[in-house]
Amino acid sequence: MTRQPRLATRIVAHVAVIVLVMVVLYPVMLVCKKAFEPGRDFALSPSPIPHTVTFDHFRTLFGQRGSHGEYLFVRQALNSVVAALATTVVGVFLSCTAAYALSRFKFPGRKAGLTTFVVVQMFPATLLIMPLYVVLDKLGLLNSLTGLVLVYSTTAIPFCVWTLKGYFDSLPRELEEAARIDGASAWLIFRKIILPLARPGLAVTALFSFMTAWNEFILASTFMTSESRYTLPVLIQSSVGEFSSQYGIFAAGAIVTSVPVMAVFYVLQKYLVGGLTAGAVKG
Amino acid sequence: MTGFVHRQLRDFAIAGAFAILIASVAFVAVRNRELIERQLGLADRSAAALAEDREPLPTVHGALIGPALPSPKHAFLRHREVREGAAWRTLASSRPDDKLFYDAATRFDRDHQPFVDLLRDGSGRAVAARAHGTEVAVAVTVPIAPASYPLLVMIGVLGLGAALTAAGALAGGVAARIGAFAGLAVLAIPTLLWHSWFAALAIGLVALAVVQLQRAGLTDRLARGLHHHRVAVSFLAPAGLAMLALVAAPFLLGLILGFYDHHQGTWSFVGLHNFVEILSGNGLDDPLNFWFTLGVTVLWTTCNVVLHVVIGVALALLLSRKWMRGKGVFRMLLILPWAIPNYITALMWHGMFDGQYGAINSLLHAMGLSGVSWWTSWLPSFASNVITNTWLGFPFMMVVALGALQNIPTELYEAAAVDGASSWQRFRHITLPHLRPALGPAVALGSIWTFNMFNVIYLVSNGKPGGTTNILVTDAYRWAFERGDRYGMAAAYGTIIFGILLLWNVLGGRLVRSKEADA
Amino acid sequence: MKVLALLCLIACSDPHGIVLWHAYNGAERAALEETAQAWNRANPDHPLELVAVPFDGFGDKLSSAIPRGNGPDLFIYPQDRIGDWADSNVIEPIEFWVDDARADRFRADAMGAMAYRGSLWGLPMTIKPLALYYRTDLVPTPPRTTNELVAYTKKMHDRDGYALAYANVDLYGHAAWLHGFGGRVMDSDGKLAIATPEAAEAAAFAKELVKSGAVPDDAQAPLVTSLFNEGRAAMAMSGPWFAADIRPGVPWKVATLPIISATGQYAAPFASAEALAMSARAKDKDGAFAVMDFLTSDAAAIVRAKEAHQVVPNPVAYLDRDVAADSTLASFVAQLEHCVPLPTAPAMRMVWTPYRTALGDIFAGRSDPGQRLIKVEEELEGYLRR
Repeated sequence: MTRQPRLATRIVAHVAVIVLVMVVLYPVMLVCKKAFEPGRDFALSPSPIPHTVTFDHFRTLFGQRGSHGEYLFVRQALNSVVAALATTVVGVFLSCTAAYALSRFKFPGRKAGLTTFVVVQMFPATLLIMPLYVVLDKLGLLNSLTGLVLVYSTTAIPFCVWTLKGYFDSLPRELEEAARIDGASAWLIFRKIILPLARPGLAVTALFSFMTAWNEFILASTFMTSESRYTLPVLIQSSVGEFSSQYGIFAAGAIVTSVPVMAVFYVLQKYLVGGLTAGAVKG
Repeated sequence: MTGFVHRQLRDFAIAGAFAILIASVAFVAVRNRELIERQLGLADRSAAALAEDREPLPTVHGALIGPALPSPKHAFLRHREVREGAAWRTLASSRPDDKLFYDAATRFDRDHQPFVDLLRDGSGRAVAARAHGTEVAVAVTVPIAPASYPLLVMIGVLGLGAALTAAGALAGGVAARIGAFAGLAVLAIPTLLWHSWFAALAIGLVALAVVQLQRAGLTDRLARGLHHHRVAVSFLAPAGLAMLALVAAPFLLGLILGFYDHHQGTWSFVGLHNFVEILSGNGLDDPLNFWFTLGVTVLWTTCNVVLHVVIGVALALLLSRKWMRGKGVFRMLLILPWAIPNYITALMWHGMFDGQYGAINSLLHAMGLSGVSWWTSWLPSFASNVITNTWLGFPFMMVVALGALQNIPTELYEAAAVDGASSWQRFRHITLPHLRPALGPAVALGSIWTFNMFNVIYLVSNGKPGGTTNILVTDAYRWAFERGDRYGMAAAYGTIIFGILLLWNVLGGRLVRSKEADA
Repeated sequence: MKVLALLCLIACSDPHGIVLWHAYNGAERAALEETAQAWNRANPDHPLELVAVPFDGFGDKLSSAIPRGNGPDLFIYPQDRIGDWADSNVIEPIEFWVDDARADRFRADAMGAMAYRGSLWGLPMTIKPLALYYRTDLVPTPPRTTNELVAYTKKMHDRDGYALAYANVDLYGHAAWLHGFGGRVMDSDGKLAIATPEAAEAAAFAKELVKSGAVPDDAQAPLVTSLFNEGRAAMAMSGPWFAADIRPGVPWKVATLPIISATGQYAAPFASAEALAMSARAKDKDGAFAVMDFLTSDAAAIVRAKEAHQVVPNPVAYLDRDVAADSTLASFVAQLEHCVPLPTAPAMRMVWTPYRTALGDIFAGRSDPGQRLIKVEEELEGYLRR
């Protein structure tokens, strides 16, 4: 926009966004309220403000001990962190290489390769758990973080490849051609020129990979069979019992799990902002 | 000349690797089958021998178990005794195999017939039981070590095959073809020795295929192509391998399982029966009908994707405006629905929709409106799912759109403003074309994810009322986990869902391309 | 590099000894862990390792892990899947190790719940019947009949509440009325007996409870808890676990469920026993049974009864002074006299969801009870026919 629109329009826009933010936040605040209010059940009032604030739920969450007396929360938080970071690294690496090839190189089967990434997503993930279990069992990767990281990475790949390919497509080729004329190898061009320019795309894929791994429950719960390998979502879900659940701990765990994602988004936000390619095109 | 030999050996190496893989799989299958047959045979013959008062075979534990002496108080508790020499001894836990004898005798009594079976503890041992008057003759085998992989044999045939290939190549002409074929066919010898006819046939077909490909020159073209595109291959290899092992393999397994039925631990081949049963349904207006559920799923996907995109793009546009204050804070807050794990927030929304005391109805009451009973009729129940999923899904579209909007050079807008374009025209001709490449995949994948979105439907409405808000994937889940572990049915269902999405994608792609051609 | 070391550390801690999976949390988990530690102190060379597994998907995780040799040696789970697992070779018959003395340690009905097809498949850890919780500030004496119970509707209506709150759409909660009217889910041969006039009467009765405002519609456990805690439900039908959810300061007691006025029979809920079962693939079966024996011993039962308020099936435990003084437990034990054992036949697993859907339709007035139940039976027979 070059001119600022009228004041009225601007005010309306701000109000609309604020209202939407409140709508979005309301359930979140209910979760927060449940985490800070004492008691295991849900209070019936719609107010999002807790009437008493207590940290008991957080204390219980952090203080849970395993059968050898070790602190479960720390161990499982560590598992989650390792799994999510590894997934981000592996996922981004696998995706950006594949996306670059699909964007820049012409080879037979390119179209097919592209659609394959979309097609494999179509089989519902919930029903793939059993076959995946069998495959991991045969590979000996059950109950191991390595197996989990690999599964998460492959889950995140299709979206990441498509997004990155879109970003790579939009990057002008003059830079690469210039570098190739100068004799640089494809890997060098990829590392030194393309990657820095694709930061918004990499940021989105990194965020997506991180969140795929961090918030995932069902695969972690199925493949991990010892408490020392559980990730945070499994720990949180353990507070939901057959008949009665400790919803306060559940809510506290939800909040604790969400904070790192917000942090990652905050860090990556500046890469989503700013037209980094604007300058490169002009030059 | 040496180039030719080199190429022949290269083809042999690649095809040979395949053949060795087939042979190894055959070996494992044969070894397991042979082991099982041997164990079962040993157990059966020993039990028969015992039943005829002869000695069991050596290395097999056999015994005559007396009739059950039930406890007067508890019907399921029995004592049993085993004959040792002339005396009887009560079976007790201090002896290693006593429990096995006990369980076998119990099973014999319950089923009233002799049996031969593998032990259920996965040790590979077999047990057999037969009648001996009022007693039961039971035989239990010892574990047998499986045959080890015949490494030397494999190396030997590989060497022989390579030699034949090279010899043929050196001779040239027809001999080269024969040599190539023979070299690969030789690898089938071990499978023939193991009576693995399928594997031998497969290897023979591989050999034939390779020779034909060589005649057509395709192997050389493939090798040259791979070499030519080796950079592309090196870039694709990591993702490709990972996807092959962890996506393609389970996927194929899922497809295959759809042709089997699973009942209490055993799988049996049923061909297309699962598919027929799912697609034929129960009549058109029964909620369990497949086609009704399909309709609900399509409606669900459309509503959600439209809402996600509209809200997400609108927010992204607003939050990219320079005059918007507090952008950073708003962006952080608006991503919360995506950040919090969705099985937690789905439960939260479920609580909010509660009929009497849920937060939504309480708010409506506070505003003077009457509450809505969310799950007693179809439309509110469907709406509750859509509302929850929209809340969960719009941040994702917003983030993608934000990223795409960053890439639009501001000069384009400046130029358009100079030319007098209205803001709608600017949106249509500048913003939208730049959004499309990023939103395209997001929408395509997003609609697939929504089509298969399990958590929201299961946790919020759970199919209420009466199962009518189920979508295909929740129905499939119920086959797997609520109707008796019918994993085969669930796998077939998954294949059908896959087929539908594939068809929709293909048709949708054709539609888009034809529209673009017309435009 | 540090990440690698960390990964190694994480990868290198494997369970050994005997592994037990459970889905307990809170006080139950603490009591179980105390017992496990007692075992570990007495038997340092056969350590017992407890693993808490989320209840959601516990059964399915077992079904997929054990046949591949990846599961635990022991596990604790409600009895309703025993038949299914026994037929699928997932669990081990244990009557070999059990003699009369051991079997006499438990109540007969609890032991009966562990039996299937002539063998014994587990030892009972606890029984979870439903009983009547009531707020003593709203209900001076517990109602003896359903008419008395329903009489509280008007009084509670004035306070914007209900006479009774329970998970009414779920068969597990509805079973009390079902059996009280003479209906059943299965007959003693394991054949389905769902579409009977008695069952239809029971469903109609439950629907009337909702219509007259005595009971909230489609209440689930969290709502039942909240209503009871906030005084908007005078009574609640729930199990022993409910006590931990009641807010401090709420005056409450437990009584047996009332007699159905229309039939003169006691309302009889399901008595679901939790079984400690052994995996068919357990490596050291004798050792595993020793652990089973210890965990279900009278001493361990007393610990669980005292600290987690579990209704344990060991009659000797009720001789302990503290356990005997617990009037809540006494009420639950009294309720056990009027309970129907949960069937262990494999078909039972499939009954829950269709029945819940049917009750939803019946309560909403969309279907006639009798006909709707006939449809349920037809649907189930369809699944069983394969």
